[in-house]
Amino acid sequence: MDVSFQITNDLAELNTLQAHLEDLQSVWLLPPKTVAEINLVLEEIIANIIAHGDCAKQHPITITLEREGQELTMTVADEGPSFDPTICATPDVTLPLQDRKSGGLGLHLVRTFCQCCSYTRKNDMNILTLKRIIPKECR
Amino acid sequence: MEVSISKMRHATIFSLKGRLDSNTAPQFEKQLHDFLRAPSSHLIFDFDNLEYISSAGLRVILNTAKAYTAGPYHFSACAMQEHVQEVFEISGFDSFITIHRTVDESLSALDQA
Repeated sequence: MDVSFQITNDLAELNTLQAHLEDLQSVWLLPPKTVAEINLVLEEIIANIIAHGDCAKQHPITITLEREGQELTMTVADEGPSFDPTICATPDVTLPLQDRKSGGLGLHLVRTFCQCCSYTRKNDMNILTLKRIIPKECR
Repeated sequence: MEVSISKMRHATIFSLKGRLDSNTAPQFEKQLHDFLRAPSSHLIFDFDNLEYISSAGLRVILNTAKAYTAGPYHFSACAMQEHVQEVFEISGFDSFITIHRTVDESLSALDQA
């Protein structure tokens, strides 16, 4: 079963995302930790889209989750300004506290939790595809 | 997210319940404002009931750790669930934030500091 849903560029929509993932958790029998990681990946991407877009102009963000065996493919498509998160620099997470900055941490987490991350701009839309392996179902 | 603030010995304890994400982090930051502007006691974040954290939450925690570096008070965190602990480790936050298993352990560590 694949899932696709649409939200708008509003942080309050993260609650909608959470509700969809909770439904998926019971259908795909995912461990809570895996669901939290998938939620985190999608939140970081959506928050970036909202931060880089025009918040005064409402536009849809379409999220699709497809599962094939143990591989999960997540696609996030939006009509905001062109933005490729895959080329952003990642922070050095080994720096001492005084040198640490919070920027870029979200994408660092996304890259850690996903095995593959690719971006295309097509028909005036940003399309980001993320893949990750999910653990075998726990009963 | 629900935040309850209590005082125990020389420490202020923030107990977080729910989700610290892009939606809830700004409110949490406001609640912390006075504690970070001029720390007047040790600070402990009790994560026992925190189910989820994202980079928006990490940003607030980084600012908290920075506010306490000057001393003389200490900041520590405790009772992390698996997801929260993992996010801390991936972000390297466990290298500069002391993490204990329980509130009691955090309090004992402060007594010995």
